[in-house]
Amino acid sequence: MDDLTREFLIESQEGLDRMERCLTDLEERPQDKELLGEIFRSVHTIKGTTGFLGFKRLEKLAHAGENLLGQLRDGKITAGATVITALLHLLDGLRELLKAIEAGGSEGSGDDSDLIARLEELQAPAQPAKAREVAAVRHAHATPVIKVTEPMAAPVAIAASAAPPEPAETATLTPAEASKARNQAATAESTLRVDVTLLNRMMNLVGELVLTRNQVLQATAADPNMTLLSRRLDMVTADLRESVMKARMQPVSNVFSKMPRLVRDLTHALGRRARLQMEGQETELDKSLLEAIKDPLTHAVRNSLDHGIEPPAVREAAGKDPEGTLSLRAVQEGSHVVVEVSDDGAGIAPEKIRSKAIERGLVTPERAAQMGERELLQLIFLPGFSTAAQVTNVSGRGVGMDVVRTNVEKIGGKVEVDSHVGQGTTLRMRIPLTLAIIPALIVRSIGQSFALPQGALSELVHIPPERAATAIEWMEGAPLYRLRGHMLPLVFLDRLLMPGRECRLATDRDNFICVLDADGRRFGLVVDSLADPEEIVVKPLSAVLKDIGLFSGATVLGNADLALILDPGSIALQTGVSISNEEESAQAVDDESEAARMRYLLVEVAGRQAAVPLADVLRIEQLPFSRIEYIGYRPVLNFEGQLLPVEDSGGILAAAQADPQTPVVVVICRDGNRHVGIAVSHVLDVTSGNNLFEAGTGTRTEGVTLLKERVTNVVDLGGVPPLPATEDAPESRQETAEVLG
Amino acid sequence: MSRSGSASHRKQKSESLVEVCSVRVDKTLFGIPIQHILEIVGSTRPQPIPLAPGFVGGLIHYRGDVLTTVRLRYLLELPPLDGPQDILVLESAGGIFGLLVDSVGEVLTVSSVDYEPTPSILDERRRALLDGAYKLKDRLLVMLDPERLDPARLGAVRAA
Repeated sequence: MDDLTREFLIESQEGLDRMERCLTDLEERPQDKELLGEIFRSVHTIKGTTGFLGFKRLEKLAHAGENLLGQLRDGKITAGATVITALLHLLDGLRELLKAIEAGGSEGSGDDSDLIARLEELQAPAQPAKAREVAAVRHAHATPVIKVTEPMAAPVAIAASAAPPEPAETATLTPAEASKARNQAATAESTLRVDVTLLNRMMNLVGELVLTRNQVLQATAADPNMTLLSRRLDMVTADLRESVMKARMQPVSNVFSKMPRLVRDLTHALGRRARLQMEGQETELDKSLLEAIKDPLTHAVRNSLDHGIEPPAVREAAGKDPEGTLSLRAVQEGSHVVVEVSDDGAGIAPEKIRSKAIERGLVTPERAAQMGERELLQLIFLPGFSTAAQVTNVSGRGVGMDVVRTNVEKIGGKVEVDSHVGQGTTLRMRIPLTLAIIPALIVRSIGQSFALPQGALSELVHIPPERAATAIEWMEGAPLYRLRGHMLPLVFLDRLLMPGRECRLATDRDNFICVLDADGRRFGLVVDSLADPEEIVVKPLSAVLKDIGLFSGATVLGNADLALILDPGSIALQTGVSISNEEESAQAVDDESEAARMRYLLVEVAGRQAAVPLADVLRIEQLPFSRIEYIGYRPVLNFEGQLLPVEDSGGILAAAQADPQTPVVVVICRDGNRHVGIAVSHVLDVTSGNNLFEAGTGTRTEGVTLLKERVTNVVDLGGVPPLPATEDAPESRQETAEVLG
Repeated sequence: MSRSGSASHRKQKSESLVEVCSVRVDKTLFGIPIQHILEIVGSTRPQPIPLAPGFVGGLIHYRGDVLTTVRLRYLLELPPLDGPQDILVLESAGGIFGLLVDSVGEVLTVSSVDYEPTPSILDERRRALLDGAYKLKDRLLVMLDPERLDPARLGAVRAA
């Protein structure tokens, strides 16, 4: 295939994608001139280019469509459901032809006269009598054959993101998207198409570079002469990595935009009425991941329409709006993107799941009887499970949810389902932003390093040797740890990896419990020691090793050691950790947030105790003094690419100045929208504080709390003055440049 | 061409030359056709993998990939060797893997005329791994087939 044809195919497909989006919008706003113009242009461009390339079938079909669209644009006819259905068929027809050209280089020898005739037929209705006559004469032969069937008598409203049901959120997005579409043409010149395989290769190479950087950083850590160079390497690598990753990012709207059409078709086929709401379409995701969620998302939407949203009559009888709402939402949460499909349909009855699961032999009746609501809901992800009373051609073959989970887990994501009978169901997919590089904590056990993905890690518990003997409680041989009043099942990593070892904490050294949450299964993983957190590049394992079922991959660490990546979900399954009860975990969350409000990180600053509210603490960093830079006299820290002011009221940094290698401890805190660092001498403990009240007045005192029986100052984060607005970056750069030069 | 070379040789008697890398394990001299060898990594200690099947010798880092290695000693029911070993990075239909051997020797050019199929008196286990032998002047060069050493295949055989 020559370049010209290839280019034509890509452009036409993009045009048709745009057209599809516009068409579903058009149903909502039939008078929108801009939409009509956009659709007309897509078809017109195809017609124009195709004549030039000599694709006759395509040209004829596009021509017929263009005529109809021309009349629509000129306001001679209005875009009713019939017209839009026909235009969607035109779209399908054009796509099919393009597909055939892409596959075989030619259009094939099909016949489009039915579709063309139908498009021409539609041109007539609103015309004055004379024109209609002409049209009728021209297509007299076609008229009786055509039956334009609309299964739904009621108007089917399918609103894309354009519909403003949630004024605050959606309304702000829509103009941005609209202008984005308009700008698309303008930006065409400053963008270029890149082969995905090239991007993949770049991503691999960047992965290698990250590994090498980690090794260089570790190797040069002791050499002060190399500090600047390695820091620069660190920054450039981070920037490069981010850029390559960004190059692979695409907005989820690329996948979401297929949904209005799907919803339109399905609601017609199933006799449902549904409004589609989409939110967060600008959220970006790695291209390969976006591809991977396309199928699960389609399945989820199908399921919602087929099993979730009830027929209009049933909804009305239940006192609901006969038109159901299906919403798609994408939002970035840290290193994940959460994609939610929720409906306000019938919900999933746990009892139905129970009986169906038993009937299908997926669980034993005894086991099913013990299961809580949340655990029962998870059963819908089992292969061969389907609760639809009738198998329809849309869904109900018992493959849907199973496929959803498999596909999402294959890319390192998670699926959760939440359902309330009569109120609806929400399916939540958590997708990692990128496949290849993940943050992980390196832990040690049986003399080896292992990587624990940070995503599953909720907290770390340190058990000093003197508490080792009494820290664990036993219930019939099962080790448990009491974490803030809740029993946390423990898994000993050494015992797991070397069966036959005794489960006990070492009394001659520190012990660490990594509190993990994998798919709602909470447990503590006991490891020998903790090493640094590292960004690891995930390398696949051979099938033989994957079969062990504890490792999800391997990675090369900064010290050039290999480490296996632990898979918390599989460990939970292998060791029989069950899903915690919904009530219990909800309770725990409440307790935790309640407790967090009054919990403080106790630190020592130059001999005095001070406290930082634990909820505001993001991270505790121990780093060499050389990492601290100065803007004028103000110490600042470059933390994950952001500059943050470091508060040094205790003069700790000043004291460390003599030797650039002196380790300093900086507590990084959140203060509203900004981050600030607090230089401290030591971190002492995490402890609960009691508010102090002034004797007599009962007024709560500000800024102090009672910690460990001592009145302790609470660090006033808001009191850390902000950095000067503009001069910061150039100044510190200049400094670096001078030293390097 | 190596394997098919040795196999097809059984039918036609015309002489063809095969280049073979010789490796030593215990007292035996083994040969692997060089076409399958990507690289020889000297004295390496692979990272052990807890709970892995016995034939797996651990992981090594090879050009950005993490490779599973196979212990030839284990397959031949020989006691494990302490200390670092040489590793051949091999390519089979299923992918790339490492083969742990005692030491790697020189590359020999052998003639198809000297080829002998694996004798039937060998035990089942060895017969499954070996692919005949070439008669050298003073000893035998026992041929290994990379396809049969592929960890994925060994894993499947073990499971069956």
